[in-house]
Amino acid sequence: MTTIALLAIALLLAASPAAALDGADILRKVDANLQPESFESYRKLIDVQPSGARREFLLWTLKKGKDKIAALFLEPASEKGRATLRLGDNMWLYIPGVGKPIRITNLQSVTGSVFNNADIMRLDYHTEYDVRTIEEQAGAYFLDLRAKTTAVAYDRLKMWVDRKTLLPTRIECYAATGLLIKTLYFKEPKPFDDGRLRPAILETDSPLYKGYRSYMVYARIKKRVVPDEVFTLDFLPRIETMR
Amino acid sequence: MRAAPGAAAALLLWALLVPAGALRAQGTDEIRLEDIEKEIARTVERPYHLGGFLEFQPTLFGLDRDAAFYRLQFFDRDEGATAAQYDLRLRLEGSYRKDIFSLFVRADALTTQGDLDSESRIDLLEGFGSLKPVPGLALDAGKKVVKWGKGYAWNPVAFIDRPKNPEDPELALEGFYLVAGEAIRSFDGPLKTVAFTAIALPVDRDVNEDFGETDHLNVAAKLYALLFDTDLDVMVFTGGSRTTRFGVDFARNILTNFEVHGEWALIRDVEQAPINERGQAMRRVSDVMSYLVGIRYLTERETTFIVEYYHNGPGFTGGQMEDFFRFVEAGDAAFRSTGNTTAIRRAITLAEGAYGRPNPMRSYFYARASQKEPFDILYFTPALTTIVNVEDRSFVVIPELIYSPVTNLELRFRAAALVGEPRTEYGEKQNDYRLELRVRYYF
Repeated sequence: MTTIALLAIALLLAASPAAALDGADILRKVDANLQPESFESYRKLIDVQPSGARREFLLWTLKKGKDKIAALFLEPASEKGRATLRLGDNMWLYIPGVGKPIRITNLQSVTGSVFNNADIMRLDYHTEYDVRTIEEQAGAYFLDLRAKTTAVAYDRLKMWVDRKTLLPTRIECYAATGLLIKTLYFKEPKPFDDGRLRPAILETDSPLYKGYRSYMVYARIKKRVVPDEVFTLDFLPRIETMR
Repeated sequence: MRAAPGAAAALLLWALLVPAGALRAQGTDEIRLEDIEKEIARTVERPYHLGGFLEFQPTLFGLDRDAAFYRLQFFDRDEGATAAQYDLRLRLEGSYRKDIFSLFVRADALTTQGDLDSESRIDLLEGFGSLKPVPGLALDAGKKVVKWGKGYAWNPVAFIDRPKNPEDPELALEGFYLVAGEAIRSFDGPLKTVAFTAIALPVDRDVNEDFGETDHLNVAAKLYALLFDTDLDVMVFTGGSRTTRFGVDFARNILTNFEVHGEWALIRDVEQAPINERGQAMRRVSDVMSYLVGIRYLTERETTFIVEYYHNGPGFTGGQMEDFFRFVEAGDAAFRSTGNTTAIRRAITLAEGAYGRPNPMRSYFYARASQKEPFDILYFTPALTTIVNVEDRSFVVIPELIYSPVTNLELRFRAAALVGEPRTEYGEKQNDYRLELRVRYYF
């Protein structure tokens, strides 16, 4: 009798997705659904000013594993050849013709966008954040995330995840002071090169930049594994040869 | 005659600013995924790139007719209180890649018209081919800038690069002809990367003749490591064109918004020949050290501070530089009273060498503060830079405004005020002040 009761409880728990998945699992699935662990992608950053004027940047990105990511600006002409590299908490910017790559910080923005360097060279969320609490809301999971270290750009994230697709729909990014820095909106899911459904547009606005909006539009995300040597300072000036 | 470049400037500005209005009018929030995908597909398929910029720069110099370097330049004539100069520069950059081979070229065509100087020239800044059989191995051959060092304004360990202009350190430099091999390995753990670079640099009458003594094959090597999140380099140069030298540098983020960096170089057998006030040279050969320490700090309000201290080992002391200025004064006085140009011409020769280099003395302090997009003006960056000669307390102050009203158009306005007592470095420069506007359009 006891065995049957335990089996029944186990079956009930298995049937309930919230019970089957803890916060950390959901966050890992969100990461896997947003992008492969190692990939290359082409994306466009679009900054829209309150006047409606817009400025666009085309980026090619390579990511490998948990903590290696490099991005190369292909357009506009004034930014062509600029490259950024991130190895864990270390970030560098290479400007062709200027000198050796210089160290930059994750809160800066190399484009002048609402997106900062941490957004443009984002590592997986579960690499940088722990799930403090998880709540079930109508059609969504709400995850309260805290940064694992002080080196992370945002101290706290509030993430709403669609229960069916396990893709985020909205993320609020907060500073340690509790100040809302920006909100990210994930839009227009579409199948990418590997057939997986992913949001093609990431939109952001910020109370710090009222009236400004920025978009990150993904056109290609393809699994690709390159040698670790590509993610080094000495290779950064040659990064375009990997395209 | 002087009005023509001004009219050309106005015309160029007008031509560049007209598309700005057109682009603004186009601004909408519409995102068309299909269009973006097509645009990206076109970019992906291209194995080549051709681009660059067109730049127009009018400059007004406020001349200091009492200064030593003015008297050296114009000892037999008076150029007045101000002088204008107009520079038109076309920068072309091209690259091509196929399989493991790639080619890169950067060249300048420059025309200068001005009250003091007029010239036109074409310079090949860089032009080299690369073989990259695997990502961790590369071989470059041709004219290349090597870019060693972590400093922003100065790089004492840049043994085979031309010196930067500390007043404008982001200007592209001209390279030297060389062959360079590079091997990179990555690891897990505290030692993340090791890279080794070896360079051979020939110098003869036709190749790299301005590098140093001719008819020598020079070699240099650098070992880089990313260890405990710190960039570390050890480098060495030897060969007959310049004396042997050793260097180390480092850079590390102590906080996410606070970076420290430094360079140290030991230069063997440096020949120094300072003159006394009578112009007699005292030749001395010794080993000297140069070093630099600096920080880069970003505030929450996105103000970036760069501060550096530079010790220039082979530089002149305050007393040696004063002796040089006294010699110039004596040579100028001799010319004015007797017409004898012997002394002033010797001083001119000296000024073309070590005395006339940018920052020829021992100790310098550099500070730059730049504010990103103040008053919510997007793509606008004001900055203030100063370089202080620590020994003689003379300095230059450079306020600067950079604005990019539309994509690919950059406007930069700069002023420079040179301040110093007589017989100090900045007090004896040819100019008291400088005003410049740079209009650059990228294509």
